Amino acid sequence: MSQDPPSSATPAASRLSVLALTAPVAMGYIPLGTVFGFLFVQAGAAWWLAILASVVVFAGAAQYMMIPMITAGLSLGSIALATLIVNLRHVFYGLSLLNKLPSGRWQRAYLVFGLTDETYSVLTTLPAGTPQRQMVLVALLNQGWWVLGTAVGAVIGAQAQVTLVGLDFALIALFAVLAVEQWRGRQTGAPLWVALAAYGVALAVAPQHALMLAIVFSIAAGIFWQARAPELRRG
Amino acid sequence: MVDSGYGVGVIMVMGAVTLALRALPFLAAQWLHKHPAVQALGRFLPLAIMTLLLVNAAVGAAKSHTGGPWPEWLAVALVVGLQWFGKHALVSILVGTGAYVLMRNAGALPI
Repeated sequence: MSQDPPSSATPAASRLSVLALTAPVAMGYIPLGTVFGFLFVQAGAAWWLAILASVVVFAGAAQYMMIPMITAGLSLGSIALATLIVNLRHVFYGLSLLNKLPSGRWQRAYLVFGLTDETYSVLTTLPAGTPQRQMVLVALLNQGWWVLGTAVGAVIGAQAQVTLVGLDFALIALFAVLAVEQWRGRQTGAPLWVALAAYGVALAVAPQHALMLAIVFSIAAGIFWQARAPELRRG
Repeated sequence: MVDSGYGVGVIMVMGAVTLALRALPFLAAQWLHKHPAVQALGRFLPLAIMTLLLVNAAVGAAKSHTGGPWPEWLAVALVVGLQWFGKHALVSILVGTGAYVLMRNAGALPI
């Protein structure tokens, strides 16, 4: 706790801002979690397995991918490999948060566990000096929305009738909002142009692994960029 | 039916792999701290990755239906415009998602 930066936020104000920060995540996680729970139960799994998956795995893309794999009865090894590929991008999330995460053992451990795309993006948007408890609360609430959605979807099960397509666009809209905010606070616009160019090339070369390839290329470009711009290295 | 024992096994394996990936940079933190390139990446990557997640999700959505990526283009442009000028994340997401759902279901609506 001695490393805690001074905070001017009052508890009431920070609680409000935590809710404001996780509200858009809730908008994406609750419907997406509901769809996951619904599809998972439809695929023939017990309702509590869907909830267990959202508590233990807590990775949206991997959990969606899990449904056809578990129905096909794939081996645990194949499923582990597929999870490795789909979630490999998470390795790079920690890189930009190394100095931001709480020093408390359990708080740190939970934040690392809960480092989804959305929690990562909200955490990178938080100002420096955000209290540790607030960061943990963001992650806890985010997982809460995901588990809540899953439970609703799993319990409704076969009774639910999905008549509207496209509700999961909420998650794309969330990515768009967070990209806009990252752009607003940018030091340089280079990351956006590099990412777009890399994705375009990756999509043409290997559509199945476009995201992963583009992330690797962006990392290479980021290393090159900082070597060319030494004034940005420190403060 | 999915066997529950198998299901629990799958969940534990996937959970372990995911946690290991997320924890790796923190376990190697001492080594990584010595390299300024890693620190600079921390400033470069968030905007790049957010852009990639956005584009990748939009491309995925566009591939899930026929008729071209127009609903995705329009709805993403709407969200970006609303967020840039309005700065209300919830409003941007709600309006953008509403517009997208309308566009995607327009053919099925009894008008």
